Amino acid sequence: MTMTGSKESPKSVHTSPDGARGQLTRGRSGKSAGRKPGMSALTMRTAQLVLALVVLGGWELLGRAGIIDEFFFPLPSDILATVWVWISTGYVFPHLLITMEESILAFIVGAGVGLFLGFLLARVRFLERLLDPFLQMFNALPRVVLAPIFLLWFGLGIWSKVAFGFTLVFFIVFFNTLEGVKGVDRVLVDNARMLGATEKQLLRHVFIPSALTWIFSSLHISVGFAITGAVVGEYLGASAGVGYAIAQAQGVFDTRGVFAGMFILMFAVLVIDLLVNRLEKHLLKWRPSRSA
Amino acid sequence: MKESVASGPSEYAVDEYAVELSGCTKEFAMPGGGSYFAVRDINLRVEPGRFVSIVGPTGSGKSTILSMAAGLLEPTAGNVRSYGTPVQGVNRRASYMFQQDALLPWKSVIDNVSLGLTMAGVSKTEAYSEARRWLEKVGLKNFADRYPHQLSGGMRKRTAVAQAWIVDPDILLMDEPFSALDVQTRQIMENELLQLWQESGKAVVFITHDLDEAIALSDEVVILGAGPGSTVVGSYEISIPRPRDLLDIRDDPQFIELHREIWGRLKIEVSKTYEAALAEDGEVA
Ligand SMILES: Nc1ncnc2c1ncn2[C@@H]1O[C@H](COP(=O)(O)OP(=O)(O)OP(=O)(O)O)[C@@H](O)[C@H]1O
Ligand SMILES: [Mg+2]
Repeated sequence: MTMTGSKESPKSVHTSPDGARGQLTRGRSGKSAGRKPGMSALTMRTAQLVLALVVLGGWELLGRAGIIDEFFFPLPSDILATVWVWISTGYVFPHLLITMEESILAFIVGAGVGLFLGFLLARVRFLERLLDPFLQMFNALPRVVLAPIFLLWFGLGIWSKVAFGFTLVFFIVFFNTLEGVKGVDRVLVDNARMLGATEKQLLRHVFIPSALTWIFSSLHISVGFAITGAVVGEYLGASAGVGYAIAQAQGVFDTRGVFAGMFILMFAVLVIDLLVNRLEKHLLKWRPSRSA
Repeated sequence: MKESVASGPSEYAVDEYAVELSGCTKEFAMPGGGSYFAVRDINLRVEPGRFVSIVGPTGSGKSTILSMAAGLLEPTAGNVRSYGTPVQGVNRRASYMFQQDALLPWKSVIDNVSLGLTMAGVSKTEAYSEARRWLEKVGLKNFADRYPHQLSGGMRKRTAVAQAWIVDPDILLMDEPFSALDVQTRQIMENELLQLWQESGKAVVFITHDLDEAIALSDEVVILGAGPGSTVVGSYEISIPRPRDLLDIRDDPQFIELHREIWGRLKIEVSKTYEAALAEDGEVA
């Protein structure tokens, strides 16, 4: 009975605010859902392309006809043009670089500390019981309210955003790791111990691989959160970054700029998620495919 | 033929037992408070080189006894010794075949089989060549690179056999290793087990539901009473000469006589368990 438990796709236990999760997981499950027999990959791609063209074309036409307000919903063609300007002039790259830097730092530190504490608390029952109420308390705090205080503490530079992203990433990774390690099949642990495993070998051969499915499901979400943290932080107060660029555009009522920033971020997240998918496929290749 | 449990064969000195449980009781704390006695006052002695089977109704504590012998469970009272030394933590001289699937799903067959060696510090090439030898023995040499979920149930059990025996333990603890197999595979594996054991001088503690299997394989069959708080209710010496032909052993007059005698005792315990289950159902309803 426990075997099936570890094979099921783990649900992330504690996902905190915002829509970053929705974005990421949707992109992912869309891929893993088996295609209907008879519908080839190519026809599906074509259908998706047609759908996108219909939606964007409709938007464009409605905008040009004056039915939707171009000020609030700038024309897709204008948005694309703005994206092109931002890219071709090189305006967006320093901002993107800063945002990525903040996200990556937040992600590495948050995931690292989350993994470490997750494993530690899962293996040391005393610590888990000691710290549990405090962790629950901090997790219950809506993270956005921390942004202003981090601005005061760490200033307008990247570290206030890193700290903010950290609080988002840490808890997801931490709780998923904790659950993943605690949910390890007892029989597998006993078997490894009978075969002579030391505590370190147990970690390496049993706990880490077993918790990996959980950890990966949290990585998908937390990569998005790291970027969310950076952008929201920048939006609230910064001197560089995509969030700052969006805030600047908004300041002069340049909705095209706001949308252009959104699109660029979206693609950045998609690319990163693709990389995580690759890594996941490589590390979890032992798992039975769920297509059946 | 039948002998009292506590005395044991007297020609062995005490510290020569491969497995020795003395007065072992296991009590589990229940979620709603209170406790449940799985087994009570178990005495079990297995000399090196002996093949001992434990038979008993479901829930009578067979797996519990084996876990105590392995050092995975600590008895609430009584003590466990192995080759004269008290067992603390896992019993390093024993290997354990679990009732459930226990292969690591993220390791290929060959990585699973060689795990015990690599963890003991044997080099990977050496461990692999030894693992290949074992995979050949259990008829899986073409499946070395598969993952457990790509194997049939019988193949997984055979992999588990290779995994448990590659470390060359002095004691083999086996918890219903073959009960999930079809009749043919099972007979092949039983033969294989006897051959491996005969050339080795290892002690085997073998749990099964199947009295035929127990008599056919063992030197001694131990009967466990109905739970809760079950204990050893009988112990039978099986003196059918070896090597035994497992295909025809069920027609052997000695086998038939033993089977009749032991089943007479076991039947009482099995029906007790069955009636207890019925009564419990009645209470719930
Ligand atoms: N961890 C546990 N906590 C509470 N009760 C337990 C635990 N493990 C076993 N038991 C109880 O102890 C009794 C004996 O269990 P055990 O698994 O040893 O039986 P068994 O003889 O191996 O049964 P089966 O033949 O069905 O495998 C059962 O009634 C079971 O409910
Ligand atoms: Mg059992």
